Amino acid sequence: MTKLIFLGCLSSSKYKQTCENAVKIIKTIDNEYQVLNDVPCCGALAYHFASEEELITHVKFVNDWFKINHVSEIVTICAGCYNYLSRYYKKYLGEDFTIPIRHMLQLIAIPENLSKLNLKYEGKKIKICYHDACHLRNATTPIIEEPRAIINSIENIELFEMDNNRNNSTCCGAGGGVYSIFKENSDYNSQIIFEQSKRGKLLLTACPFCYTALKRIKEENKIKKPVIKFEDFLTKIMEGADPISE
Amino acid sequence: MSEKGKELYEEVKQKINISQKEDTLERQFADFWKLACTLKVRQHDMRYAYDDTSREFVEKYKDHLIKVRDDFIENMDHYVKKCIEVMRKVNNMEVHYAKTNEEAQKIFMEELGQNKVIYKSKSVEAKDIGIIDVLKENNIEIKETDLGDVLVQLFKYELPSFQIGPGAHFTELEIAEKIKAVYGVELEPKAANIVDYFRNTYRKELLNDVKVSLTSANAISAEDGTIVLGENEGNISLLTRATEKHIVVCGITKIVPTLLDAVLITKLQSRINNVSFRYISLISGPSNTSDIQGTSVQGMYGAKELVVILVDDWRTEANNNDLLYKEFLKCIGCRSCNFICTASRAFGNLYASKYGLGATAIIRDYIHYGIEAAVKDGLFLCTGCENCYHWCPVSINLGEIMKSIKKEATEKGLCPPPLDEYKEKIFKDKNPFK
Repeated sequence: MTKLIFLGCLSSSKYKQTCENAVKIIKTIDNEYQVLNDVPCCGALAYHFASEEELITHVKFVNDWFKINHVSEIVTICAGCYNYLSRYYKKYLGEDFTIPIRHMLQLIAIPENLSKLNLKYEGKKIKICYHDACHLRNATTPIIEEPRAIINSIENIELFEMDNNRNNSTCCGAGGGVYSIFKENSDYNSQIIFEQSKRGKLLLTACPFCYTALKRIKEENKIKKPVIKFEDFLTKIMEGADPISE
Repeated sequence: MSEKGKELYEEVKQKINISQKEDTLERQFADFWKLACTLKVRQHDMRYAYDDTSREFVEKYKDHLIKVRDDFIENMDHYVKKCIEVMRKVNNMEVHYAKTNEEAQKIFMEELGQNKVIYKSKSVEAKDIGIIDVLKENNIEIKETDLGDVLVQLFKYELPSFQIGPGAHFTELEIAEKIKAVYGVELEPKAANIVDYFRNTYRKELLNDVKVSLTSANAISAEDGTIVLGENEGNISLLTRATEKHIVVCGITKIVPTLLDAVLITKLQSRINNVSFRYISLISGPSNTSDIQGTSVQGMYGAKELVVILVDDWRTEANNNDLLYKEFLKCIGCRSCNFICTASRAFGNLYASKYGLGATAIIRDYIHYGIEAAVKDGLFLCTGCENCYHWCPVSINLGEIMKSIKKEATEKGLCPPPLDEYKEKIFKDKNPFK
């Protein structure tokens, strides 16, 4: 039986260091989890622009791949994969899909796992902001309080809630393939997220799609606020590095 | 991918380019709309002098409202029949049940008779049912009475606008200049002066000249056939009283089981949008008196006739056949989903249709004019963030409806070409980012 770390195609293609950090964190918690080669895309992106038939064919293909590789449990590092696998695979495959899906943040937030990570920050107290990604808050089992529990467990790190948080968070404007065709959406909405994060030293996100959109807006508008992926932030804390540096 | 898909994609892109340019009507609206959305969302958590914020008010009644709407959808036939029966037998209303929009339009024109002018309040339902189109085709003069709509008419503004404050994007100076150009009256460009101008001129006309008026309903109670109408300007009060014939046109989904539910929905529409309904009218028939020997005579100071046209059109079909927009039947028309919509905030009146702004207006366009209309309205601008779902007081997942419409668009070759390429990579290469 395989306990699979599902990296997701965006992170595994564009954010290799983040993947390494995520794998290190997950393996610290449970060394039985492993990364496999040639993992297919879960298909989340296509949900907005594929036919029902194409989607069903694809999820069946992925499910067969899971079966061939004896996947018994999945932990995803991508918010989009978590949402899609947990919400739509069951819808399309019914009883044929029985693999429990968890997001990395759920695994980390379990108190005994948190203690394994030994998250301690000995620097001066800092306030940080966390952006609730749509993929996490909209999932069948929403992930809303877990990141907060993780952040609040770290000494000297304080969460500053943005005006729009939890179920009312502002979407970065990148979802549904909109980022690639009508980027004007994230031009506006990602800016709002930055504006709301003014009182935090950094902006934390647990979604690679949000990160991509936020990072572009940051660079194009020369915004100084660091935007950091959750697993990268935790790795810095674990390694005693400066968590604010990008 | 089809040529049509490419063409529609280019059309949407072109509209976006226009909206990015300074001094275009689209840009002017977009700038206003961004501010309005920010303000509206902030107001949601403000307490003012109430015991609760708007958000808390909605949360308090959400479960109840979901049950009320589910109950109505499950028992639509029952509630419609009950409502019509009580309206006819007890309330002395002239009630028409129209199976289709065309039927409703025909009934409406018959009720209008020889009248060539109609005074109306704001109504998405009248647009949905095609009443506005048929009035225009028949050269009937449509006189809007909500000040926002009056301004929209004055400016001959034809782009989609914000349903709750349709003229709110015009500046005081622009309005004063327009009044001078059209009526030759010079005003100091201040909101109070502009309002005074219309109060001193148009109000007299509304009090004295209205023969036939048209309104929709915020909600209708099935138990006693009462029509509930909320407003802040007083125009609806005048249209429903200072008229010979008041015609109410709306879809059957405006019906709710009880009067208290109808009032609650109306109050919620006011709270969720942070607009003050200074008046809520509960109308249970035409005016009457029994003061002479106990003889009931219809038509005292208020409306002499009250005509109700309840329209089915797409509604029962959506319910019975489980159509992809079935959930939309639950919509109470509060329009609060506009403010928090990622696409609406970014694209203003480019993400819209002739029915107004946002996803609900696009869904209506899809229902009446099909998939190409929806793609043209900006269907693929929706990120699927589902803010609309979290915000909706009756938990309609508009995001899922939009995703289903996108699927249909894709199946018909109307998906934007770059997304088609992504799809190929996902399904063939199993990685879109390689």
